[in-house]
Amino acid sequence: MKVEPTLYGDRKVYSVAAFNRGVAQWLTRLPTLWVEGEVTELRRQDAWQTVFFTLKDPESGASLAAAMPRGQFDALRLDLQNGERVHVYGRPELWEQKGELRLRALSIERFGLGAHLAALERLKAALAAEGLFAESRKRPLPRLPRRIGLVTGSDAAAKRDVLTAIQARFPPARVLVAETYVQGPRAAPALVDTLRRICAEPEIDVVVVARGGGSFEDLLPFSDERLVRAVAECPVPVVTAVGHEQDTPLCDLAADLRASTPTAAGRLVVPDLEELMAGLARARDGLGRGTRRTLERHSARLTHAAERLRRAPVLLVERRRAALAQAGGRLRALSPRSTLERGYAIVRRDGELVRSAGTVSPGEAIAVEVADGSFGARVE
Amino acid sequence: MTYEDAERELLQIVERLERGDASIDEALALWQRGEELYRFCAEQLEAAEGRIEELAKRVDANRPGG
Repeated sequence: MKVEPTLYGDRKVYSVAAFNRGVAQWLTRLPTLWVEGEVTELRRQDAWQTVFFTLKDPESGASLAAAMPRGQFDALRLDLQNGERVHVYGRPELWEQKGELRLRALSIERFGLGAHLAALERLKAALAAEGLFAESRKRPLPRLPRRIGLVTGSDAAAKRDVLTAIQARFPPARVLVAETYVQGPRAAPALVDTLRRICAEPEIDVVVVARGGGSFEDLLPFSDERLVRAVAECPVPVVTAVGHEQDTPLCDLAADLRASTPTAAGRLVVPDLEELMAGLARARDGLGRGTRRTLERHSARLTHAAERLRRAPVLLVERRRAALAQAGGRLRALSPRSTLERGYAIVRRDGELVRSAGTVSPGEAIAVEVADGSFGARVE
Repeated sequence: MTYEDAERELLQIVERLERGDASIDEALALWQRGEELYRFCAEQLEAAEGRIEELAKRVDANRPGG
């Protein structure tokens, strides 16, 4: 059909339909060719004559609408799923009613299964071999960070969840928030740049990287080698909370700690203020108690020493007395008096000891000494 | 000194004092040091006013002379 303009004087004016028709006709001159991309937004319904899907370039994020007659699509028996990488043979065409460009698919071939997943697995293995994910690299989080860095998208939920969790647990927290792209081709370099900049800020002791849930594709920047390396090399510990529990982007493996949700990340980076206060009060009590105990011990030792000192002279006298009594006893045991006490007597004549019966004669006066005294006597 | 350093040293001092084997001079010096550390920690918790700041976007960053 020929495209006819309406003439207003010397101005040629086309209707929208005519313009679209003209462009559509011009497009038919372009060649039929192969396009590689990932299938997303696949829409196939039995009631529809056409199957629609979007081809996406995972590296740049560029997308292209594509369509194929349902009969043809079903005949391929591909059982295509979103996320699969395909080669599509087709030609550009214009959907005239809307003036929208799309790829008219004539054939579809599956190109490897989950090319991304395979590439990710290779990258993961290479980085793991380098030791980037090693447990020994993980650093403990500071108990009380002076300032917390938060790298997040402008997507309100993740940011709000982290901040709410931090403030509920530790109201005096200081947080520096840096918003950046968290999906699309610009996200990885922007995240790397933001992470470096936030770490360069004074007093940042820990960084949280948070992003809400999203499709596998949306989360791809968080598996980008540049970001994974930046997280591993970050001068302060990094906590990641990216996507949902079941997603494990590679940056999670390089992080010092992985949180299941942004809220969990918030709770991990600050201590509980009330617990901290209670612990501090206990420490202070301990300080007073410990000092008192130390001083009391010294005091008790001093008292003991003083008592021993006071008792010393008494002990000395007692000891001497005992020694003296013992000496007296021994002395007494040796003296002749003890012999007299057993009934013996000492006999003297003119002061001389009488040792033999032959030395005395009858009528002589003698002196007899017994234990308790002496008396005179005459020899018969 | 970070909060953690102060807290760790404070707890070590308490433990040492509770053993009761320090000399008197030592005990008094430890106690004094402990009180300083306690004050440092308490001030950190009380003085800090919670604050949320936004890092300026790179395009907004004022970088005289490039």
